[in-house]
Amino acid sequence: MSAGYIDELHEAFQSDLVYRSEDIPLECSPRPKEMEQTLHGVMKLNGLIIRSLEEIAGRGANAVTYRAGKKFGHEVAKYFQKREDVEGALHELSDLLRGQYSFEVWKPEDKETFIIEENGETFIYLVFHDCIVRQTLRRNGLDQGGPLCQTLFGYVVGAIEEITGRKAKLEIVHTGPNACLKKLVLK
Amino acid sequence: MEIHVDKDACVGCGLCVKDCPMHVYELQNSVSVAVRPNNCMGCLSCHEICPAQALEHRGIYAARRHYIDIKVCEMLRKVV
Ligand code: SF4
Ligand code: SF4
Repeated sequence: MSAGYIDELHEAFQSDLVYRSEDIPLECSPRPKEMEQTLHGVMKLNGLIIRSLEEIAGRGANAVTYRAGKKFGHEVAKYFQKREDVEGALHELSDLLRGQYSFEVWKPEDKETFIIEENGETFIYLVFHDCIVRQTLRRNGLDQGGPLCQTLFGYVVGAIEEITGRKAKLEIVHTGPNACLKKLVLK
Repeated sequence: MEIHVDKDACVGCGLCVKDCPMHVYELQNSVSVAVRPNNCMGCLSCHEICPAQALEHRGIYAARRHYIDIKVCEMLRKVV
């Protein structure tokens, strides 16, 4: 390794900045546009972790990622207001997910209400529009609905359970390139 | 949601009919017709699968794309 190269490396990390312990950065750095490479790196890494997990753990991979997501959902939603109504809980949830996922409650035209009772089940359809998981999977050429989607499933279920105190389950109805339809089953 | 099928382009393969989870399309006289457009939830699976690119959705929410290569887009913008 040449001395010139080492000096060049050192130079890249030198600055005149004075950093005090009480300084709280008010903006993230660098600007979002310059974060593209970082985002690609994170997406690639996530994709590779998931692919390797599937190769080693097979179908067990879903259980692992679901559980991780569920724990995360419980953890994050702990600090949110507890409420019994599902509508309010979904509202809290969309605040919680903002920036990473966006969703809306949805119903087919032949249904009167958003809370649907069918075959002894009570459920709500959720259409996920923006989704960092879908973007990551498509970026890496991976199928939707696998272990990485299970993380989001666990996350939503964990958060709903934490906010409402009710048990819940999330099922995939359809995955598409622009939106995914999911069924939130309430117990 | 407004869905338009280009009748001249549609080859009547029926892939959109089979793939749409909300049963929005039906084949009528070997051409796809959006019979239940209000049931569409905007997944765009039909666009991905249609070999003739015969479909058009109006009033759809386009999900954020995080993986477009900004550098490539900037180069394209200079050319196009
Ligand atoms: S966007 Fe999805 S729900 Fe809408 S017509 Fe196409 S496949 Fe069906
Ligand atoms: S997938 Fe395209 S070409 Fe095939 S029936 Fe549907 S609209 Fe026509």
